[in-house]
Amino acid sequence: MTLTRTLPMDPWLVANADSVLAGARQGDAAALEKLFRAFESPVYTLARRICRTAEDAEDVLQETFFEVCRSIPRYRGDGSLWGWIRSIAASKALMRLRRNRYRDTDELDDAVMPSRREDAALRMDLEAALERLSETGRAVVWLHDVEGYTHEEIATMMGKTVSFSKSQLARAHVRLRRWLGEEVGT
Amino acid sequence: MSDATSHLGNHLTMESLLALREPGVEPGDLAARRHIEACRACRAELERLHQRAARLKALPALRPSRDLWPAVRARQQSDRRRHWQTRWTGAAGFLAAASVALALFWGDVAHPDAASAAAEIAAARQRSEVLESALDRFNPEARVIDGRTARVSQVLEDRIAELDQQLQETELQQARQLEDRRMETQQQMLDLWRERVGLLNALVDVHVTRASNVGL
Repeated sequence: MTLTRTLPMDPWLVANADSVLAGARQGDAAALEKLFRAFESPVYTLARRICRTAEDAEDVLQETFFEVCRSIPRYRGDGSLWGWIRSIAASKALMRLRRNRYRDTDELDDAVMPSRREDAALRMDLEAALERLSETGRAVVWLHDVEGYTHEEIATMMGKTVSFSKSQLARAHVRLRRWLGEEVGT
Repeated sequence: MSDATSHLGNHLTMESLLALREPGVEPGDLAARRHIEACRACRAELERLHQRAARLKALPALRPSRDLWPAVRARQQSDRRRHWQTRWTGAAGFLAAASVALALFWGDVAHPDAASAAAEIAAARQRSEVLESALDRFNPEARVIDGRTARVSQVLEDRIAELDQQLQETELQQARQLEDRRMETQQQMLDLWRERVGLLNALVDVHVTRASNVGL
């Protein structure tokens, strides 16, 4: 059983992955809690980077593990467990974005925010710049650049086209570059 | 045109730079690959792009401010109790009705080829949209319904939500698969879509037929 390809994991859980998974499939509360403890931080991180508020990210974390508890008997183990849990988390986070219909703010921000050349003190750190991106742009950046999803996968999850995903990523990087003070020639 | 897509001077656009980072033997187009070899400014821009992605990956992991496991566990237990209760209140009859509707609607379609499977999936998607529109127009959430109808609806809606999750996973799986395994996955998707249409039919029956019977 592959638990994860990229996450640092509790060595005990790695050594006991098969028995934990078998217990979780049978609804054993202790086994399900072990899975929750192992993956709550990566799921919350993904949710928090995509959603606007900590409350939304907490809701996504709960909904993700509620779904994991319900669906784990169907998990066949043909990919990494983290890959499976992550696809549920990403789907829930994107669903939350659609439900809340957040206003995409970066166009407005571009209009009202002084340019970097006017005030170098307004340069942001990466986290603040990421936060300032539109909901869609931030989600695409995170899913593509950090979680490693392809544009095809992102397009499927968002119900959009591949070129939509590509153009959102490009727009977001142009903004990040500007807000981080990384534009060429300065 | 934004500088995400337009050429600034003779330099590569952000989309072209990003394409060069995509996995593959020869990422990006040939012209972009030739340009990057000759242009120091674009190489520097590509390097900044690599560094930005690396810094994004290095952002700290986050944790929720409170322990959410008790809430997940409580919801899971409550869901399990609800399913046991509904099992004894006639939901099974409606699910059986959904299966019958499904069989009548689809007839005997054992192993369609790739083209007809794709056509059937498209038809099922369309049928799903029609049924969902009918439900939206009826707006069941704004109506008073009896407890039995509410429980049956809940069972059907829960199963539809599970199917949607499965469909999404199967679509992702299919996108990653080689051609020779896609047919098998497509058949799974077709089965899921058929079940979804059957359940939506049952859900429409539960709400719309009942409402017309009692004159709501």
